[in-house]
Amino acid sequence: MNGVRLHNLTLGYERHPAVHHLEGAFAQGRLNAIVGPNGSGKSTLLKGIAGALAPLSGRIDLAGLAARDVAYLPQDNGVARAFPMTLETLVSLGLWGRRGLFGAVSAADRAAIAAAFAAVGLTGLEQRGIDEVSGGQLQRALFARVLVQDARLILLDEPFAALDGRTTADLIALIRRWPGEGRTVLIVSHDLDLVRSLCTQTLLLTREAVAWGDTDMVLGAENLLRARRLSEGWADDAAICHHDGHDHPHGQAA
Amino acid sequence: MSGAVVEAALLKSAAAGALSLAFGGAPLGVLLIARRMSLVGDAMSHAILPGVAIAFLITGPDPVGLTIGALIAAFVVAGASTAMSRLRAVPEDASFAVFYLAALALGVVLIGKVASANFTQALLFGEAGSFDRESLILAASAATATLVSLALFVRGFLGEGADPVFMRASRAPGWALHLLLMMLVALNLVAGFRAFGALMTVGLMMIPAAAARFWARGYAGQAGAAVLISALASLTGILLAAVIQIEPGAVMTLAAATAFAVSALAGPRGSLIQSLPCRPHLEG
Repeated sequence: MNGVRLHNLTLGYERHPAVHHLEGAFAQGRLNAIVGPNGSGKSTLLKGIAGALAPLSGRIDLAGLAARDVAYLPQDNGVARAFPMTLETLVSLGLWGRRGLFGAVSAADRAAIAAAFAAVGLTGLEQRGIDEVSGGQLQRALFARVLVQDARLILLDEPFAALDGRTTADLIALIRRWPGEGRTVLIVSHDLDLVRSLCTQTLLLTREAVAWGDTDMVLGAENLLRARRLSEGWADDAAICHHDGHDHPHGQAA
Repeated sequence: MSGAVVEAALLKSAAAGALSLAFGGAPLGVLLIARRMSLVGDAMSHAILPGVAIAFLITGPDPVGLTIGALIAAFVVAGASTAMSRLRAVPEDASFAVFYLAALALGVVLIGKVASANFTQALLFGEAGSFDRESLILAASAATATLVSLALFVRGFLGEGADPVFMRASRAPGWALHLLLMMLVALNLVAGFRAFGALMTVGLMMIPAAAARFWARGYAGQAGAAVLISALASLTGILLAAVIQIEPGAVMTLAAATAFAVSALAGPRGSLIQSLPCRPHLEG
């Protein structure tokens, strides 16, 4: 039943763990938030769930979802703006999961692309180059690509960073529709007010789970204070994790 | 048969070969420039040299042998560079610079040892008279393979170029597409190197592609513009070279460079004229 379940999950880079021993589940068909101080491993966790980073230990259970059922919008969107590409081609990349290397684009696909442009308010800009639009318009186009992907699980990393209020409001309205369509959404954000108003479930992360559950409970003053205390104690390159009363380096275990 | 008829036949086959190379090379040049891999063509053309030298050692100046040697060398570099591009520690253009300089050095050593200065010059700058039936078939095959591959995989090539993070998350076969792109570049360069020279063939691949950026926005438009510019520059270059009686490779490249200069000055997209302050706007 649960959309994404983490089993004793540890993720990191070059064998330095960034998040430790996560155990729990994100609620299916709901808006889930992942919050925490800078460097708490939020983006790393999302990258791991997206399949772009292999676990150091433990595992991620997507309850049978295939790669094409997952849409992932990273924080630095990674789009090479100098590439000769129109917004329409960028959005149509969302078909990759279903059409792959060879598949032809059908009339229904074209209709889906047109509908996605309409949904994000970019109708009429289909033939603009990706180097000719504002950051906000590019983010709208990337949301249109998520719509075209038609994914069951949608992963958004700081989707509203550097966007104006109008764009943010439009995209939030779009996100609010997704649970009703049976989609599970995970949003990484540093904006607690936004999370309180948008997400029913929240994971508060400081390299380990401080609290996980209903947003109002998780974002209580006591948990937030604890998260801040934990983050102040971090060394920059800690390779040792303190868990279950014993210390162990992660590198050798893998 | 009079000398003029022979000359006309030679001109015709050189022109047909150059058109094939325009259709194959220019769309690849657009992809390479967009992916900031302009150096790749250079690297590949130099990688051809040691392959040709080794083939020369084995078969002598047999054109088929030289072409096969060039193809093998170019494919080895294509494969090695694909493997290197998966390494994160060295940026892609830097790993190409390593290949390019090493291959150039090896080529200079081998060719200096086995062949005459004339042979080396023909290799680098071309000998249009060598565009025989086999060369034409190879050039046409390279163009066909390129256009068919682009038609089949254009979504993959464009996705890998514009948003590699997304493509990785979508489990797209990035390394296979990269390898295919490198192979196609290799094939087109080898198809042109004997007639127009290893270096000049790169010029005809990259310069029209660079010029095309001033004319169109999307990939299809830029590829079309690059083919057109490459074809025009090639034909102009071949005719001019026939008039002034020199090898056409360099003249074709100069014609392409002229087209680039015109595009950079007056093209409709981001050219010099476009970036001048516009008086009516200031007044309005």
